[in-house]
Amino acid sequence: MSETIDTDIRSSAHPIRSWIVTMLLFLLLQAGAVLLVGFAALFLSITPGWSAEGPLAPLTKPADARSGALLFKSDAGYAEAPRLGIDVDIVVSGPTARARVTQLFKNTSSQWVEAVYVYPLPPDSAVDTLKMIVGDRVVIGDIKPRQEAKVIYDQARREGKTAALTEQERPNIFTNSLANIGPGETVLVQIEYQQPVAQVAGEFSLRVPLVVAPRYNPKPIVQSVDLRPYSDGWGAASNDPVPDRDRISPEVLDPAKTDPVNPTRITVRLQAGFALGEVKSHHHQVTIESPDAKTRVVTLAEGVVPADRDFELSWKPASEKMPSVGLFHEQVGDADYLLAFVTPPAVAAATQRPQPRDVIFVIDNSGSMGGTSIRQAKASLLYALGRLQPNDRFNVIRFDDTMTVLFPASVPADAEHVGDATSFVSGLDARGGTEMVPAMRAALTDDGSDADRVRQVVFLTDGAIGNEQQLFETITAMRGRSRIFMVGIGSAPNTYLMSRAAELGRGAFTHIGSVEQVEERMRDLFAKLENPVVTGLSANFSEASADLTPAVLPDVYRNEPLVLAAKIDRLAGSLQLKGRIGDQPWSITLPLSGAAEGKGLSKLWARRKIGDAEVARTMRQMTPEEADGAILKLALEHQLVTRLTSLVAVDKTPRRPDGEPLKLAELPINLPAGWDFEKLFGERGRMPAMQKDRRAEGDGDVQLAALKRPVVPTTPATITLPKTATDAELSMLIGLAILLLELIWLAALRRRAAN
Amino acid sequence: MPRFVIPLTVALVGLILFGHGALIHAKAIVAQVLLDRAFSQTIASGQPVKPWSWADTVPVARIDVKRLGVSTIALAGSSGQALAFGAGHVEGSAEPGEPGIALYSAHRDTHFRFLRDVRIGDEIDVIRGDGKRFRYRADASRVVRFDASDIDPVTDRAELVLSTCWPFDALTQGPERYVLHATMIPE
Repeated sequence: MSETIDTDIRSSAHPIRSWIVTMLLFLLLQAGAVLLVGFAALFLSITPGWSAEGPLAPLTKPADARSGALLFKSDAGYAEAPRLGIDVDIVVSGPTARARVTQLFKNTSSQWVEAVYVYPLPPDSAVDTLKMIVGDRVVIGDIKPRQEAKVIYDQARREGKTAALTEQERPNIFTNSLANIGPGETVLVQIEYQQPVAQVAGEFSLRVPLVVAPRYNPKPIVQSVDLRPYSDGWGAASNDPVPDRDRISPEVLDPAKTDPVNPTRITVRLQAGFALGEVKSHHHQVTIESPDAKTRVVTLAEGVVPADRDFELSWKPASEKMPSVGLFHEQVGDADYLLAFVTPPAVAAATQRPQPRDVIFVIDNSGSMGGTSIRQAKASLLYALGRLQPNDRFNVIRFDDTMTVLFPASVPADAEHVGDATSFVSGLDARGGTEMVPAMRAALTDDGSDADRVRQVVFLTDGAIGNEQQLFETITAMRGRSRIFMVGIGSAPNTYLMSRAAELGRGAFTHIGSVEQVEERMRDLFAKLENPVVTGLSANFSEASADLTPAVLPDVYRNEPLVLAAKIDRLAGSLQLKGRIGDQPWSITLPLSGAAEGKGLSKLWARRKIGDAEVARTMRQMTPEEADGAILKLALEHQLVTRLTSLVAVDKTPRRPDGEPLKLAELPINLPAGWDFEKLFGERGRMPAMQKDRRAEGDGDVQLAALKRPVVPTTPATITLPKTATDAELSMLIGLAILLLELIWLAALRRRAAN
Repeated sequence: MPRFVIPLTVALVGLILFGHGALIHAKAIVAQVLLDRAFSQTIASGQPVKPWSWADTVPVARIDVKRLGVSTIALAGSSGQALAFGAGHVEGSAEPGEPGIALYSAHRDTHFRFLRDVRIGDEIDVIRGDGKRFRYRADASRVVRFDASDIDPVTDRAELVLSTCWPFDALTQGPERYVLHATMIPE
């Protein structure tokens, strides 16, 4: 065919026309070639397109990782997921708080469902009660060793009995599993915990975490080998820094696509034991009632809120002077449990000259910090840089899944270096994974020079990692003379990581939940960094024999109380504390007979003993077997949920008929407020948008009201329609236009050349 | 010949753009052939069959409009990747033949180009992965915003909704969607 045309053209008498025909032919052939290339490329390009499923970072969503979730996803999407309402009721009595968390699971589907909900609690909370309410029956949970509880639960699940299981995944992450919720049925799960009230810088406070922030779980790279005694040198290599990664990574809903879920109602009854001054909620609008001078009732102004940020309440006494000592006791059986708060005097501070310091700032700029968190972190770090004294030295490290150490070694804090650091920090952007261990290792690497200087590491992060234990081990192994100060950033920081890292690093920690808090909290932290501490503390009971926690008293920073818990055989004599403030000796004596009645102190004591055993295990002061034995004994005696014990409740009557399938549903959680979904999970994955219109707000009323009434029909849902246009036509048109112009241009060039 | 460098570069850009557009259509056409084969095997074997070994979705239904003589295979899910190859059965919508709305989406310039020609009253057949055929009759169409479809998949009748981008002749992507509604004709 082309041959004939060719002959035609050659024989033509008009050279220009023949040239145009040649060109058109060329174009046609080119189009053919492009199509051919296109077809070929189809099969080459499909591969990456299809395999690049999910985010690059190994931030797992169970939907990607678990078969249960797949089942859950494939059938009818999230409409099948049970819905959840949360009611938090807290009574603060003096130094402790008793919280009752009621989770209302409503099965909106027509099938039998097993619901799994991952939720946070304060890291120092002692969970001791589980109740399950099915219809008009209340089933009380028993404490059992974890494996045993799991077996009981699994058996009940198979037999069609309704059962609830409360497990600890981390000291601040718990899981509630609820098996055999009938179609259209509502089941209540209630847990109760005891928590000490925090007291820092003249202020009492209580923090109720409401959402587990998505954690970065590093990929298994380094094998850790655990060689047990009597194993003749053979051990199992554990590959994974986060072996329980899918237990702590629930589905996170994209806030741009779905309205918040998990409506939460919070009531705090505050009985401080003294006349109250200012009572303040830091991140939620609240209504505060005052029945009398010592009592406040705090409720959410909006009624219910989505569970997407921590609730933080703080209060001050009416009088200017903060009580510097608090002593409480509780009698359980023939033992007395004591809780003491002692705030050392700040008098010596003025006489001390601040020692020159080496400060290593570490800032987390991983994807989880995207949104408001990175702004808070940068503002905090810039504030800190401004506070450096000329004779201090400093360095800055930033990390995501990569790491930059700004200066090769610590540099003097002169204007030039601080200027460099300021512009470095200002230019940071949040992206990537969270490889915290290498950054901590770099920060703790101490060249040993200038041993007279105080070496401090200030670590700014949201702590959104799943391999906490690796970080703790790094700190234990490398801390040397350095002290670690953790700054928890964002609306839902990992409080467990902050407090434990600060404890192991003999420093302190603070939380910054909004940009407004940056200056106040950083000022307080710097007051701690700059001011002398009470060191060499020891405690003595004059008559009673005591089991004290913490066993080795930590150093105490300015404005921070020393908190002691002890189990004593009799409430007599006195407790004497001795230490040094700077160069001066300091001591205080508390008569035990003056101790006021407190509630739940035995649980708090046991919880702290368990924490001590976990620390001793990390620091290799106890073998894992010893530590586990001690933890198990304490947990069973005091009915506490720990790493090794769970609460399980089983309704005796089988309810699910034989042969009816049971579907597993993991309840999705909100993204913590201020987080950036795309930074975290990469390009928006397509998630079903079924929750649309099911707003946390309106629904909360329905769900919480449903405590007493039958299930109310839900509001209609609507579907978001996918994007269904390609740019094929557009790019083909533009491509053709460019080629056409090109031809005209070439023709012009050719003619000029011919001339 | 340096003076040809710029024209040649421009020509290359033109070629790449044209190729990109052509590739989209090429993918759509070739994939349908493979999908059709896999879907036939799915019906025959009763097991989901992947259209090519590395695919992470499977054909779940075939949509036929007899009057127009068109037929397109729908995949599970409506991610951008799936929609490049066929129509997508939107997550969370009902199975065809079951009570509720079965919702399929596809690109206006490839698999659902025929939607512009479907008239009210036309019969639309949906064949499920288990080989069962359900016949629907188109009874309404409208244009909505993508986030205000008002489509509640939970209804007590078996209904079908096909959606694509609107307007059909536009060259750029917009927020509006064309939605064709059909109700199952009882056998």
